[in-house]
Amino acid sequence: MSASPVLRASGVTKRFGDLEVLKGIDVELGAHQVVCLIGSSGSGKSTFLRCCNLLERIDGGSITFLDHDLSDPRIDENLVRRHVGMVFQSYNLFPHLSVLDNVTLAPRRVLKVSKDQAESEARDLLTRIGLGTKAAEFPDRLSGGQQQRVAIVRCLAMNPKLLLLDEITSALDPELVGEVLSLVGELADLGMTMLLATHEMGFARDVADQVCFLENGLIVESGTPEKIFGDPDQAATRRFLQRTLDQGGSG
Amino acid sequence: MGRNEVTADPVVDEPPISLYASSRPRWTGRRGTIASTVSTVVVIGLVIALLASPSAKPFREGFLNPHQMWIAFTGDPAKGILSVGKGFLLNVYLSVICEAVVLVLALGIAALRLSRGPVLLPLRGIAIAYTDFGRGVPVILVMLWVGFGVPSLNIPVISSQSPVVYAGFVLVFSYTAYVSEVYRAGILSVPANQTQAAKSLALPAGTTLRRVVLPQAIRNVLPALLNDFASLQKDTAIVSTLGVAEAVHSAQIAAGVEFNYSSFTVASLLFLALTVPLTRYTDRIMAKDRTRRLAGIPDTGGIT
Repeated sequence: MSASPVLRASGVTKRFGDLEVLKGIDVELGAHQVVCLIGSSGSGKSTFLRCCNLLERIDGGSITFLDHDLSDPRIDENLVRRHVGMVFQSYNLFPHLSVLDNVTLAPRRVLKVSKDQAESEARDLLTRIGLGTKAAEFPDRLSGGQQQRVAIVRCLAMNPKLLLLDEITSALDPELVGEVLSLVGELADLGMTMLLATHEMGFARDVADQVCFLENGLIVESGTPEKIFGDPDQAATRRFLQRTLDQGGSG
Repeated sequence: MGRNEVTADPVVDEPPISLYASSRPRWTGRRGTIASTVSTVVVIGLVIALLASPSAKPFREGFLNPHQMWIAFTGDPAKGILSVGKGFLLNVYLSVICEAVVLVLALGIAALRLSRGPVLLPLRGIAIAYTDFGRGVPVILVMLWVGFGVPSLNIPVISSQSPVVYAGFVLVFSYTAYVSEVYRAGILSVPANQTQAAKSLALPAGTTLRRVVLPQAIRNVLPALLNDFASLQKDTAIVSTLGVAEAVHSAQIAAGVEFNYSSFTVASLLFLALTVPLTRYTDRIMAKDRTRRLAGIPDTGGIT
């Protein structure tokens, strides 16, 4: 682990009304590291991810991103989000824009990159993931897997220092999961720093440097994938993994 | 369990079922074409017979007199009859100008009502009061109020405008209230996850509204917007209460001079010539949208 982490969360709490969703989350993410959050639905994985790009504000504890305290009220959310990309479960591509325009919108409007440069960079990225020929198509002409890969490229076009992936394969047909996960695997190989919530245990085992098991807004156990999947300390972790295995590991 | 065994058995006891309709076959193919032709001819024949019958003569003379229709359409300065056709140009002009202004102002009102900042709270209140008033008070009442009331106040400049200006103001006032609500519904119809995706890409609020939310919102409410436009075209007739020489007022004059109401037929036909194509166009857009949805094209906005 490098000296200065990309993201450091300590004692993060978040409540929606009476419901305490996060009860003190501690996570540290060094450069080029991949951390997987696992746990059943409602355990707080998504909420924690959304706190990391300020879609939600935390109620207690702290999150620092590259040594900046994100809970500081003077923080400009949009400056943070330039460097923190997020991919959603339901892709959330803009349906009225072509694939190319989806990818170039933020670089052009936020980073003020010229149209020509943004488009040529976007085409390069799309070609690299095998969707170069789909640049002019609208999202509804693409399969779910293709849409999700475009959503990932849309984030990459901003050159993020951290990528948040929120159950990005959960809405996909099983046969389309592979293409999305292999793209994420490639990004991991290229050294992208990623924090992801996932139900894909096999994938987490392959790609993660660290796995955190969440239950009821707390990290019950965290460690290397070998440790968590091979010999977890906590009974809760074993129970969760057993349940997941019984269901065929899909989610 | 037992159920499976029963269906696995060859059907022995069950009575045979019939899948043939007990009544006549439906109207299909050539039979259908012949039937529709015959019924159309019969109905048209009946309508013609009714209009041509001696007892319908007062109706023909009073409403459909070609000579009277021509006089009303072109006008007759000698008798003081204004041209309905010329008057109608004013209706078209008013509706186009007003619609353009309404589309812009209404967007501002909608954005204001959906704004969040604490500073804008009083303006939000005013926007709500305005939409309630604009939608709740009849256009003709506002027309009379402004058209006759404002000149009586003797305020410099404001009280000395032409009735056409008052009429335009009133139409814009009333229709902005309606259209702002249409916009608002459209903006609210865009799934929240679209805004979140835009936010997570660091797009500022204004850019998100312009580039992400509004294009989708307007597509969703386009039929409603076109409906309101058709409605506005018709309501330009209310301007006649201010004595402006538009189509309806001119038709009224012709009817008064000639004691014949064919001028109203002319005015009606002119309005229809404008609104029918627009409503057909609206229908087509709605039908296209429906086909698109029924084609099962996935909605990227859906959240599970």
